[in-house]
Amino acid sequence: MDPDYRGDADHHDGTSDATPGGYTKERRPGELGFAVIMALASLYLLWSAYGISGFDALSAPGAVPMATTAAMAISALVILVKTARRPKVTTETLSRDILPVKVIVFVVFLAAFGALLIPLGFLPTAALFLIASVKLLSDRGWGFAIGVSLFTLLIIWIVFRIVFSVLMPAGIVPEAEILQFFRNLTSGGAA
Amino acid sequence: MDMFLAFLTVITQPQLLLLVGLGTFAGVYIGAIPGLSVTMAVSILISFTFSWEVYPALALMVGIYMGGVYGGSRTAILLNIPGAPSAIATAMDGYPMAQRGEAGTAIGVSTVMSFIGGFVGIAVLALAAPFVSDFALKFQPRDYMLLAILGILLVGSLSSGSLVKGIFAGALGIAIGAVGRDPLTFTERFTFDLQIMEGGISFIAVMIGMFGVSEALLQLHHVDKTAVKQKISRIVPSLGTVKKHLPLSMQTSTIGVIIGALPGTGGDIAALMAYDHAKRVTKNPSRPFGDGAIEGLVAPETANNAAVGGAFIPMMTLGIPGDAVTAIMIGALFIHGLNPGPMLMVDNPNMFWFIVGALVMANFFILLFGLTGIKIFTKIVEMPRSVLIPLILLLSIVGAFAVNNSVTDVYWMLGFGVFGYFMRHYGYPLGPVILGVILSRLLDDNWRRAIISEREDLGRFFSGIFSSPLSTVLLLAVIFIFVSQTPLWRVAKTRLFGRTGSN
Repeated sequence: MDPDYRGDADHHDGTSDATPGGYTKERRPGELGFAVIMALASLYLLWSAYGISGFDALSAPGAVPMATTAAMAISALVILVKTARRPKVTTETLSRDILPVKVIVFVVFLAAFGALLIPLGFLPTAALFLIASVKLLSDRGWGFAIGVSLFTLLIIWIVFRIVFSVLMPAGIVPEAEILQFFRNLTSGGAA
Repeated sequence: MDMFLAFLTVITQPQLLLLVGLGTFAGVYIGAIPGLSVTMAVSILISFTFSWEVYPALALMVGIYMGGVYGGSRTAILLNIPGAPSAIATAMDGYPMAQRGEAGTAIGVSTVMSFIGGFVGIAVLALAAPFVSDFALKFQPRDYMLLAILGILLVGSLSSGSLVKGIFAGALGIAIGAVGRDPLTFTERFTFDLQIMEGGISFIAVMIGMFGVSEALLQLHHVDKTAVKQKISRIVPSLGTVKKHLPLSMQTSTIGVIIGALPGTGGDIAALMAYDHAKRVTKNPSRPFGDGAIEGLVAPETANNAAVGGAFIPMMTLGIPGDAVTAIMIGALFIHGLNPGPMLMVDNPNMFWFIVGALVMANFFILLFGLTGIKIFTKIVEMPRSVLIPLILLLSIVGAFAVNNSVTDVYWMLGFGVFGYFMRHYGYPLGPVILGVILSRLLDDNWRRAIISEREDLGRFFSGIFSSPLSTVLLLAVIFIFVSQTPLWRVAKTRLFGRTGSN
């Protein structure tokens, strides 16, 4: 196994912090577009950093931001030129290898999660999210998806609500009342 | 005496010992399950433990860190899938051993070697850190600034991606860290007149996005992969085997500590370098390297665990993280109102000795969990990804939300998750981004302190650098990293060493 080898199915496709994905000799679908966006964004940030305090003084609040965005812009342009020179990978397509529908669906799921979290509350939102995603990813039926999701959610809720005392928005579920009900039940039983 | 008591805190308080044990146990599994990484786990944990006291929170994180670095080797050996980046080198000889039916021996050796390496790392930490921190009190602001730059550059250059992409990622991290009101002058920076940007971007949201969400999204490509089962025989290795490889393990542990102690570089790089070293120095390996040589297992496993102790050295003494996980731990200390750096060792030495004690106990737990419970282990690792991925995403959301109770952070996390997803695909390293975010403030403050003390004069600034040996060495190191990546260096190298020089 060559440690510099990139892009195989399971371990060097960027799942490691030290060996990022991508190829050394070829350009993956969409890589050039990404490089262009990075270069433009860096230049815009450089301009924005100049706007902080201009060339006022070396110790001005904008000095380090200008230096870093300049470094970003220069490296982004170098990357852009290098990327543009490389031949394109012929075996990959954007919709299959880089941005498959599944990934887009999950990004939408997560955005919806954020939107529903406050009005609906954590428990119903998380239940919906888990059921939908497990159903989508596994080939099993609704029973499996709902069962596994609710079980996992119960464990997560016990661990985080009780062990870590993390408070999530209650929304439509009267969480505190339920918890109090059980507390009364156990203390009542003990007394 | 105080120091010794602090060291023993973890043993005298059973609940702390329990947390270290729990953390190590969880760490072994988190490290082993492909798709879950220690960086991810620790970044999510920060937000769950921030209402806790410092010691219990640290006990849990130290356990997870130590266990996770070891746990990655399990799946590397059994499935040829390194569960954690630091186990990439372990798979090269570990999996061939498993294929020959020696999975048990391989796991046993890797456990004992991790234990030995772990101890070397902790010993060096305990001995060296107090000296380094004494020395660090003499550091000038410009030295901190140079060290921070060096750390960010080192991750970019030693990891196998391209240095330009590393520099881009590091600079991006510094810029992200600068968003919001400047702490000294209250000038707005990169806020684009938006109110939500004024407070800055929560670094926890950035971390969870980059290491949790982007990883989970990437795993969506491999939902259908099934695990291969291996038969496991005898685990506890014979004393003879351990003795035979002790000299090599000491060498590779040393490599591990040094690489770990360099700011920015951690166990993954240490393991690969130790593997190369073992290949060079072992004249008669038990089998050719790559075919299941025990030496090829000893080297990375000692080095990556030794790197853990090493990584704590710059973190505790300078406030500069040794790797991505310690970068996140610095964040955790900030949240608990502590300021890592040389003053931490002076003001709060007990904290340091507590961490050393916790690391020692975590190391013992590795030995315990490593040599037992292999049956349950194979069951848990086979957890289907169709359940695992939604679970990671759910935990990421809870983690990002819980710190500030704000949905905005969830969207930041999502944004950086998608961004990190593309970065991973196109070969941009993520480590430098996190290092940049964490070091942004330190870099900015120290640059301004340094240049103000030189009356805003660049000439005086540079003559100041060259009048101090330390600053000179640091500056030369920064320059060397740049030059070593340019074609100029390659030409010079071929001239000097003839045509044999590779690269």
